[in-house]
Amino acid sequence: MRTKQEYLIRYKDGNLYCELADIWIDPSKPVKKALITHAHFDHFTFGCEEYISTKETAILLKERVGDNIKIKTFEYGEEFKINGINISFHPSGHILGSSQIRFIFAEEKWLISGDFKLQKDQTCKQYEIVKTDYLISECTFGLPIFKWDESNKVANDISKWITNSPEKTSLLFCYSLGKAQRLLNEISQTNFEGNIYSHGSIHKMNNSYRELGIDIKDTIKIENKKKIDELKGSLILLPPSLSKGSYLKNFKNIQTAFASGWMSIRALRKRSGYDKGFAISDHADWDGILEVVKKSEAKNVFFHHGDSEALSKYLVEKESINVLLFGK
Amino acid sequence: MSLKKFSELFGDLDSINSTNNKIEVLKNYFLSNDPIDNSWAIYLLTGKSNKRFISGRYLKNLFSQIYEYPQWLIDTCYLKVGDSAEVITLLLKNKTNSRKKKLSNISLNELLSETIPALSKLNEEEKNLEIKNLWETLPEDNHLIFNKILTGTFRVGVSIGLITKSISKLINIEEEIISHRLMGNFKPSIDSYEFLINKNINLQELNSKPFPFLLANTIEEKIFKNSINNFQFEWKYDGIRMQLIKRSGNVSLWTRGQELVNESFPELVEKMSHIKDNFVLDGELLVWNFKEQIAFDFSFLQKRINRKSPTQEIQIKYPIIFVAYDLLEINGRDIREIKLENRRFELEKYFSKWQNKTKNNISKIFKICDLLYPKDWSEALNYKEKSRENNTEGLIIKNKTSKYASGRKKGVWWKYKVDPMQLDAVLIYAKGGSGRRAGLYTDYSFALWKDQELIKFASAYSGLTNIEIKELDKWIRKNTIEKFGPVRSLKPEMVFEISFEKIQISKRHKSGIAVRFPRITKWRKDKKIHDADSLENAYELMKKIS
Repeated sequence: MRTKQEYLIRYKDGNLYCELADIWIDPSKPVKKALITHAHFDHFTFGCEEYISTKETAILLKERVGDNIKIKTFEYGEEFKINGINISFHPSGHILGSSQIRFIFAEEKWLISGDFKLQKDQTCKQYEIVKTDYLISECTFGLPIFKWDESNKVANDISKWITNSPEKTSLLFCYSLGKAQRLLNEISQTNFEGNIYSHGSIHKMNNSYRELGIDIKDTIKIENKKKIDELKGSLILLPPSLSKGSYLKNFKNIQTAFASGWMSIRALRKRSGYDKGFAISDHADWDGILEVVKKSEAKNVFFHHGDSEALSKYLVEKESINVLLFGK
Repeated sequence: MSLKKFSELFGDLDSINSTNNKIEVLKNYFLSNDPIDNSWAIYLLTGKSNKRFISGRYLKNLFSQIYEYPQWLIDTCYLKVGDSAEVITLLLKNKTNSRKKKLSNISLNELLSETIPALSKLNEEEKNLEIKNLWETLPEDNHLIFNKILTGTFRVGVSIGLITKSISKLINIEEEIISHRLMGNFKPSIDSYEFLINKNINLQELNSKPFPFLLANTIEEKIFKNSINNFQFEWKYDGIRMQLIKRSGNVSLWTRGQELVNESFPELVEKMSHIKDNFVLDGELLVWNFKEQIAFDFSFLQKRINRKSPTQEIQIKYPIIFVAYDLLEINGRDIREIKLENRRFELEKYFSKWQNKTKNNISKIFKICDLLYPKDWSEALNYKEKSRENNTEGLIIKNKTSKYASGRKKGVWWKYKVDPMQLDAVLIYAKGGSGRRAGLYTDYSFALWKDQELIKFASAYSGLTNIEIKELDKWIRKNTIEKFGPVRSLKPEMVFEISFEKIQISKRHKSGIAVRFPRITKWRKDKKIHDADSLENAYELMKKIS
């Protein structure tokens, strides 16, 4: 067995790093060259000399942080070479533009799953099964208690939640990029016919999605000084950062909910402080992770993002898959 | 009506914060379901269904067997979720759908009066098969309710008061009447529900039941501005709050928890039945030190509470007394509406009559509470400070002109508790919480110094804010020395102020002391571990008190 320094990709300073190409994946500190899997802020940091991503990720990033970054873009499946290593992006189904990244070097294949889900999502490309020798996978929801409902069922629950309280303004908190657009897309296919408002940060992302050819229902940008009566019975999408603090004082007679995979657990729902939780996630559930591990045909698997102890033990015991430790 | 409706009700109640909305949801449920299902719903929601048919462990083992999940994996999931019934529910998801069995449309009544009780008559193999069958045929939405009832862990944030309010709204009758009807042993049946929603108030039916208890509020600053003469002062005993009822010659003892406890205290029932009058008394049951005329510690009472038909020996070893502090009904006349000072007058009058006229000596088991007469508020404060000497918890202050209301009514009774005892202790162990606190380390153990060693002296889990809990949880994860299952031993670094009600010698504990109701009252970030108290300090505290 090789030592960890001999792996093509390894952990360095808490980040994924390929020494042979001197390239970092979603680094949390400024570096020379950074591959970016998707445009969420916990996968991006300012100050890198060069970024490489899919076209969609680049556009979303620039919309969020400004044009003042140097990004090289590639299409899904398009191979490019750095220091003799063949690299390509493949759809990961997490949000628009999100990707897995494959490395091929000396006939050895490595796949970084990025954040991914297998569930249907009309706002981004479906996860693509990519075969590999080594798989580095996320493991945010790596326990069998996590099993997602179909997203249209969740959307119907949300619609019912709003229409059951016609006197109230329903505030639904969700991540501005990805989750919000997916929810909008799903809710517009339910019976809900009331007005939908969205916070500026979400509104901006909606527009970008539309420009990138994704069909997103038009929403009204929420202004602070709306008349209370106009908001009765309508849905307002807000980023979770606004759930605590004075922002909510802008509204009267509200009910609140949070859309997140964690909301499937009652204790977390109660502790979250929202009235209601809707369990919907852009990450894979337990079965999803297992499916990807199996279908990728990887003989060696690493996990990052999340508590992977149980999943690793399960794969070793039940599926005889070699789960390796990176050593952070 | 199907179980599904009840599952929906549970989901709604669980996710609604507003009391008014909860009442509305309950009212609608009662309106749209059968009386028998309604009676079961009330039974479940008021927490009377705590019977455990199957343990959480059994349920987890069974699941592991049927679906071939390793036990350790289920245990890991449990740490995240904190509730066996919910873990199994989450794991069952999408497992049972694929089988094309016809889904059952069982009613709440059928489930609770037939299906589940029938399980206990089966042998293990048959029982396992039946549970598996129920998992596969019950619609997925009902799994949580089913598993929770099975494991006796059905709880939801609904108080008996909320049920009372919604029934009261439903039939438009005062809450007091409904709460009266809900007292005592509510047995689910069509009759009991019909009785509950009966629009005619029938006094006969209400005969053996206690009145809703009047509860004391925590002392308010503004009360000190009033003249001391407006109030009646009593010691606050640490016993079992009880209404002693004698109607039509029958004595019944009702605790505040609405339990009929005649069987635990037969000598009291026997002696009181010699009194000629009928009455309802409100008071406190205590184990009494007759030599010093003070109450024994609550720990003595614990030897009596859960023991039915105690032997003569136990009765002598732990002699009980009922200390009456109020008279609510006398010979069929409800006097709750008259002023407290007048009720007290009646109480004294009847007590002296009973003492003189009753053949059996009742004073060995029954007295009325002594009143205190502080001249001013500072003397009242002095009384309060001295309350530990009498083995009491402080004072009860009552408005002399008040009626006997029901519940925690404002402006009637106040409790003025003695300040808790406190020690500064070092956090040494943490354990994962359950229920709402699942996934966080919220059960803590604290230690005091003995020479150079830290000795565990108390465990506590309440007192920190949610923000503090999260902060401490983070610290715990970073400062773990060792893990033993769910418990982590920690680097001694954090000091907390621990308050408690009582301190006594205990041979069971390594520290040699035991404290009652320990709780965290301050995170002493300003203190280093060597500023924490020693066991010696604890012993001194104990000496000071006894």
